[in-house]
Amino acid sequence: MIWKLSVTGIKNRLKDYLVLFSGLIVASMIFYMFLSIATNPVFISKDVYGREAYLTYIFTFGIILLVIITSVYLIYANSFLLSMRKQDYGMYMMLGAKSTRIGLLIFSETLLTGFLAVLLGIILGLGLTTIVTKALVGKLGVEITHYKAILPSAIIGTLLFFVIIFLLGALSNVHKLTHTPVIDLLHEDQTPINLNHHPVLRGIEAICGVLLLAVGYYVMTLSTRYIYFLIPTALVTIIAGSFFVFNGVFTAIINYLLNKKSFSYRGINEFTLGQLKFRLQSYTKILTMISILFALALGAITVGLNFGSMKDETQKSFYYDATIVSQTPAVKKAEAKLAITNKQTYHYKEKGMHLYFNRAEFEKQPLKEIEIYFHNNQDNLPTYKVKTLVTAELDKPETAANSIFSQMVPNGIPKKIKLVSQQRWNTLNGQKKFVSYINVKDFAHDFPVIKQIQKEQLKENRNYQDIYLSSKSYNYSNMIGFTSAFEFMGFFLGIAFLTMLASTLMFKVLSGAASDKVRYQMLHEIGARPQLLRSSIRKEIGTLFTMPAILGIVDVLCGLKLFKTLLISPYHNIWIPFTIFIVLYLGYYLLTVTLYEKIVLTNK
Amino acid sequence: MTEILRVDQVTKTYGKRGEKQYQALKGINFAVNSGEFVAIMGASGSGKTTLLNILSTLDKPTTGNVFINHEDNSTLNANQLADFRSQQIGFIFQDFNLLENLTNRENIALPLSLRGISPRKIDPLVDKIATRLGIKEILPKYPAEVSGGQKQRVAAARALVHEPAILLADEPTGALDSKSARELLYTMADLNHNDGITTLMVTHDPFAASFASRILFIKDGKIGEQMLKNGQSRQKFYHLLIDHLDTDE
Repeated sequence: MIWKLSVTGIKNRLKDYLVLFSGLIVASMIFYMFLSIATNPVFISKDVYGREAYLTYIFTFGIILLVIITSVYLIYANSFLLSMRKQDYGMYMMLGAKSTRIGLLIFSETLLTGFLAVLLGIILGLGLTTIVTKALVGKLGVEITHYKAILPSAIIGTLLFFVIIFLLGALSNVHKLTHTPVIDLLHEDQTPINLNHHPVLRGIEAICGVLLLAVGYYVMTLSTRYIYFLIPTALVTIIAGSFFVFNGVFTAIINYLLNKKSFSYRGINEFTLGQLKFRLQSYTKILTMISILFALALGAITVGLNFGSMKDETQKSFYYDATIVSQTPAVKKAEAKLAITNKQTYHYKEKGMHLYFNRAEFEKQPLKEIEIYFHNNQDNLPTYKVKTLVTAELDKPETAANSIFSQMVPNGIPKKIKLVSQQRWNTLNGQKKFVSYINVKDFAHDFPVIKQIQKEQLKENRNYQDIYLSSKSYNYSNMIGFTSAFEFMGFFLGIAFLTMLASTLMFKVLSGAASDKVRYQMLHEIGARPQLLRSSIRKEIGTLFTMPAILGIVDVLCGLKLFKTLLISPYHNIWIPFTIFIVLYLGYYLLTVTLYEKIVLTNK
Repeated sequence: MTEILRVDQVTKTYGKRGEKQYQALKGINFAVNSGEFVAIMGASGSGKTTLLNILSTLDKPTTGNVFINHEDNSTLNANQLADFRSQQIGFIFQDFNLLENLTNRENIALPLSLRGISPRKIDPLVDKIATRLGIKEILPKYPAEVSGGQKQRVAAARALVHEPAILLADEPTGALDSKSARELLYTMADLNHNDGITTLMVTHDPFAASFASRILFIKDGKIGEQMLKNGQSRQKFYHLLIDHLDTDE
């Protein structure tokens, strides 16, 4: 009988169950996707360049973070499950069902829900991982060839992790329910909450919160030499600061608005504010956690995508974009595709151990290069300056100009460079050759064509190999290999975090929806227009989503300072990750509003 | 006397066509005049709640019309119905229906801000009705911090603060102890008598019904007969009512 009741109970709440279920599926999908990427052994060793120990460290760190956030997420999903069924369980117990039987029922329901969700999640995760990997490869220009979507170790890992967490969740649900008096189960939503707090205490909390945050942000601007001191200090002060800010500052703002009658007495503003004030009591902890996770997720995406800026740095450290030494039809055809802004051609004659250049050509178009200035202070990035190579030094051994120029001409290293007058050059015998240095309008854009030119020249001219290795395109291509794996990781980690933190907030909001329904029903009855109720919901949930987002964004903006030695310019193109992140976050907000409205705005 | 409420041939059928149907209201007709205190009495399942939901525009009749202040509310859309409720109707519910996340003052102010009354004018209006109902001291408190009787007074203040055309009360004393119930009923009678507030109360309690000037009996979805107080004392009216109920059984 009790099992039949349980099935009927679930059927009645099928819609809510579907929400929970889809959330769990997404979580397990993301978990699998990340695990399969992070633990892909071939992928790591073949596609990611770098010291393996360092990479293992980064991936392990990523997985630990993912485990923490997924666990927190599952705790909230579990409490949502419990909140849905609490009254039903209370009813069964009131009717005389034994608590051991109810315990077994809760245990099986929780475990079964979790198991089914993770199984479906993994199956969908296999497909998703393949699709997302391909899409990312295309979008980021990432070169990944050794990636495997189906990874048995990741499947087992995901399954085990979720089953363990759900087992713990099921046990905690059983404990909670069998130790709660039946009367409290039946009337849980009517338990009064104390809303009167000491204003002075609140004021102190608010000030402490702002001060702690200020200390945390300031610490992150200090020299990264003290990184082992900085991170723990910043973490503690920012977490504590965020907690007090939510508890003190935001409550103070709401109280201020509630007392400002010209605002609160408009429409149902006072109700919206009342709801928020009511919520903040039980949301402080979760909002703090979400703001920190928001910062971590956004930070991961920003830092990940920022590794791409290393490519820009590679670009900056070379003056010329491409070198052309061949005149084959294929090279000519490719060259025609480039948006050339500057082309410097020098002719030379190769005779014995000498390369004879026409000095007049250098006087007319002096050669240039980039000089890099490193700073003593390790926090500052190097600066780049364009320098003209002194023509007179180009053929003088042991000068910097000669050494640089030697690497820019095929055979320049084994042979000697000589600059001669126009007349002398005309009379010289030897193989007549040329070398052109090109600048294009947009290197990144023309990179594929330049790469093709290099390939053609390598085929045709064996000596070209020497200068190819010190060319801009070779170094740029290497840097792509190095950074793309980090971009990929940052992006995935960030998206995984975002999905879970937003779902956690979503479940927290939705788990209160059942008890909020009564209030919206009351407002409906006393004549609040449906539109007004919707707008109140949007404002209320919007505030709950915005508060941690604001703190999270400030955390990231300050926290990025920590990366100034690792990344060339942490704030470069920051709008891209911010936009991606905010659009996804907004999507979650809209989903939460829609689901919440469906629960609270259905009339009796 | 002006007619405030008229119920015309109202029926309510539950269940879809072709399926098993249940008729909760079978052609209800009655009218309430301005300044009247009418009670609708009936046992559980007699159709009381269905009728009240239709009168308060929360539910629509299957056939028939309801006019409040000569306005037919069956022609109104969702927004107009909401506005109609916020302007013409004041509610008192059995379980108070106060928003526990707002102070008593904020609860009472709600219908005024819903009507778009200028925020400057709201507090004086709240103070006025709170003084009238003797709950001025508890205005800054939250509903959870006051007694059941006080809660129902706050609910009454909220129902009356915007001066609705009619006060609808659904078993207003159902959740109160006898002392608080008595006090509330005297207040309602006083408001009706001295302030001319038109009141329609649905109840199954003869004691509560005896405060009305007219009682309509609803049984099996139909209004049967009615009893008029006609200037008799409340006590006498109560005894007549008990006798009437005894013979009815």
